[in-house]
Amino acid sequence: MKPLMLHGHERSITQIKYNRDGDLLFSSAKDNHPCVWYSINGERLGTYEGHQGVVWAIDVDWETKRFMSGAGDNMLMIWDVQTGKALGKIEAKTSVRTCNFSYSGNMALYSTDSTMGNPSEIFIIDVRTVDSSFSTNDPILQIPLTNAPKATSMVWGNLDEVVISGHDNGDLAQWDLRTGKKINLVSEHAKSINDMQLSKDGGFLITASRDCTAKLFDADTLECLKTYKTERPVNSAAISPILDHVVLGGGQDAMDVTTTSTRVGKFDARFFHLVFEEEFGRVKGHFGPINSLAFHPDGKTYASGGEDGYVRLHQFDPSYFDFKFDY
Amino acid sequence: MARRKESDRAQQNNDDSDSNPNDELEEEPNFDDPEGYEDDISEQDLMGDLIRQRPKETDGVESIVVIDGVPQVGPERIEKLQNVLKKLFQKFGKITNEYYPLNPDGSTKGHVFIEYSNASEALEVLKGTNGYKFDKNHTFTVNLLTDFEKYNDILDKWENPVPQPFKEQGCLQYYLLDQDACDQFSVVYEQGDKVAVYLNTQPEPSLLEERPRWTETLVRWSPLGTYLATFHAKGIALWGGEKFQQIVRFSHPGVQFIDFSPCEKYLVSFSPLADSRATDEPQAIIIWDVLSGLKRRAFNADKSQALPIFKWSHDDKYFARMGVDMLSVYETPSFGLLDKKSIKVQGIRDFAWSPTDNTIAYWVGEEKDTPARVTLLELPSRNEVRVKNLFSVADCKMYWQKSGDYLCVKVDRYAKLRKDKSDIKYSGIYYNLEVFHMREKQIPVDSVEIKETIQAFAWEPVGTKFAVIHGEPPSTSVSFYEVKTGQTPTMVKKYERKPCNQLYWAPSGQFIVLAGLRSMSGALEFVDTQDFTVMNTGEHFMATDVEWDPTGRYVSTAVSWWGHKVDNAYWLWSFQGRILKRVALDKFCQLQWRPRPPSLLSAQQIKDIKKSLKKYSAQFEVKDRLKMTKASKELVEKRRKLMQEYEDLRKQKQEEYAEQRRRRIELRNNVDTDETEGRGGELEEETVEFFIKEETTFIDE
Repeated sequence: MKPLMLHGHERSITQIKYNRDGDLLFSSAKDNHPCVWYSINGERLGTYEGHQGVVWAIDVDWETKRFMSGAGDNMLMIWDVQTGKALGKIEAKTSVRTCNFSYSGNMALYSTDSTMGNPSEIFIIDVRTVDSSFSTNDPILQIPLTNAPKATSMVWGNLDEVVISGHDNGDLAQWDLRTGKKINLVSEHAKSINDMQLSKDGGFLITASRDCTAKLFDADTLECLKTYKTERPVNSAAISPILDHVVLGGGQDAMDVTTTSTRVGKFDARFFHLVFEEEFGRVKGHFGPINSLAFHPDGKTYASGGEDGYVRLHQFDPSYFDFKFDY
Repeated sequence: MARRKESDRAQQNNDDSDSNPNDELEEEPNFDDPEGYEDDISEQDLMGDLIRQRPKETDGVESIVVIDGVPQVGPERIEKLQNVLKKLFQKFGKITNEYYPLNPDGSTKGHVFIEYSNASEALEVLKGTNGYKFDKNHTFTVNLLTDFEKYNDILDKWENPVPQPFKEQGCLQYYLLDQDACDQFSVVYEQGDKVAVYLNTQPEPSLLEERPRWTETLVRWSPLGTYLATFHAKGIALWGGEKFQQIVRFSHPGVQFIDFSPCEKYLVSFSPLADSRATDEPQAIIIWDVLSGLKRRAFNADKSQALPIFKWSHDDKYFARMGVDMLSVYETPSFGLLDKKSIKVQGIRDFAWSPTDNTIAYWVGEEKDTPARVTLLELPSRNEVRVKNLFSVADCKMYWQKSGDYLCVKVDRYAKLRKDKSDIKYSGIYYNLEVFHMREKQIPVDSVEIKETIQAFAWEPVGTKFAVIHGEPPSTSVSFYEVKTGQTPTMVKKYERKPCNQLYWAPSGQFIVLAGLRSMSGALEFVDTQDFTVMNTGEHFMATDVEWDPTGRYVSTAVSWWGHKVDNAYWLWSFQGRILKRVALDKFCQLQWRPRPPSLLSAQQIKDIKKSLKKYSAQFEVKDRLKMTKASKELVEKRRKLMQEYEDLRKQKQEEYAEQRRRRIELRNNVDTDETEGRGGELEEETVEFFIKEETTFIDE
């Protein structure tokens, strides 16, 4: 089926996320306006105006009431999904690289870049009430990563008791929120971890790394279970909520893009079997690297956002569901 | 001496103790030598280091040379002789002393001693005048005086050299005994750090050997496939046998290029930076005997020579190199010049051996009034079996067909010539292909004219066809010509506008791959030239190399790290152009098929096999199918195991998930979201009708 092309951003897409119901799709780009779209027909519902820099990360809480975005203007903003009004904002010392609501939606985390002498830091904040005083509230927990590789990707784990951070050097760390201590560290990737996503039940974690691989981890023990190999840096990876499939997207760095041709298929979204690590399908379309991927919660569509500024919504053909590996 | 001193000291000590009466009880023993004692220690032991520095009789002798073969003259002419010799030998340095031994009657003895101020000058004399022809009857033999000592020391008794113990190397040809005649190939990757040899089994190539740092740059198979040569800073190593053990080593520092003789009896190694000044012996090019590992002959290299400098005849009997206005043909195993002299060829530009006969083709450029010409020279008789004159020639290139049946000379001809001082400019270039029919009487020559630029030319290795890519890229065309006896080659097929720049014939002919490498982004076309059907097209993006396996069953394409820095990989295709395998390797450099020696089957046997091909192919198909099912069974087995492991883990996860249900609900304000996930909440479909437009249309009756 022909994909829906969502053309509302002027610059490359940085992240896309479905809400829990799957009726809405949120997207952010290097322009300053995160967007929200109807996932069913690709109609744009609105934008969130207020950022003055590249929006690096977005998230939406489980009730689809509040939307959060972190940007290169050092701002973390929380918005009302429906009205598009900014409810509160926090100014960080450096640009905000990741942000995530917790499972309960009562807490959120965000992490900052290390620039101008400031270390990369992870913050846990209380977001039960977001109002004008929001910016002055102290964070619940603040973890400075002094002299350590910066956090490039984060997820919540184990029902809001831990957070998992992926780092610049390929490390994967698990932090206990009660003590603020690092409780686990694995170094499976050789290069920076660009994206992490949890499986539907939160039991598994997929990482996408610049070292041209994506890996599947046990989200509790951080044991590396599977490795999916490609020839290009992987920017994003997602696990299908209904089938044993994963999808990988990537491509080389924007500066090297001219050395290849779209015909080679390096910008394709690539589907692997979760268990066998074998590639079984590719979806063409973007004419630049894919920066972010997401499965619809029902597993029947997936969306990809690329360096080319487009978000594409692909509905799977029946043959996708009929396809079975022999075993 | 040392002992003496010690004893002196002991003496002193004794004196001391004597002077102290209190210590009388502890009187030390007397170390004095008894009267008349003689040391049995030689001076050598006592002060070997000093003795070694003692001037020897022969010191300064190394600057003296002895000249033999000087004319014997009577006393009246000695002065004249001295003057002549002085003049000659002064050139090499300052003569400090000279001595003419005389017979009792006053005549010279026929040898002369000359001393120079230092040894290096004496060495120069040796180089410059040894073998100097003084006159018709006198040739000088010059030696250093020190050499006489060397020759004096030669043992009287001859000791036979001990034969080297025989080393069992196993069967070097074992790879030809493979049951299914699978071919091997070598792969160099990780920038040359790793070398692996694979056996091209179906469906998956199997790894035979992998070694880190096996070579420092690349590897080369010998022409018959017996050896694998690896390159090192210190020289070349050859490996072979089932375990790829080292067979032989050739020490040649800085070696960069090697070339095997066609029967792999000899190896030529070339070290472009080798410094030959250190010794008299040339260092740049060394020819080795592969079996014994011994150096056979060394040569110096001229800087600007095209590689390979030495070209071998098909049977290893001769090898030749081109010099200025001459062609030097050497013979084996003597490694001397054939008939002791080079062949004078005024203005020779290039030469090539026939792949099957001892015939050399060379061409000579235009010179004033004489036209350019191509000559076929038979060796060792030096008969010119065919000479072809050519006019208005800018350049020539010679292509032998692999079976030696034909020679094609691609002649770049010009319409106009303009001389600008030293450089010559040609304009209106067009091309002629001169085809020599080697197997016919008198060797007739046919000519084909092609107006467009020729990008590539290739003979069908076995057969009568050749292919030409002509035109300006990207709108190049490919033409196929068939050569027949007694008539000019006829064009049998022309593909207009085929973007390609390389031609790769299958080793046994008939099939060809038209490839657009590098800048043409790796487009591939597999053509059967029997009826000129394009069997398949493919693309290996940015491919830099295409290679046929020695049997012509498979084709490999590669993106080498040497040519392109990303997506380094090799792909294997069937000869029909079906992709079989894609292997991406980090910094992959080179893939080379292991060659096979020519088939031992007679032409008749091959014909018989071709006749009953159906029978054989049925057998092979059964075998292939068996292998495939076995492989897929193994794969399924593997998958099943993986799935089982994963299912166990997932089950455990699901149990945990179920246990946490209560906590999850608590966290989300007592809303159970487990069941509603992804359903868009409690969505109810609603139909809303809008009134859009009303139209009234009158229908004419």
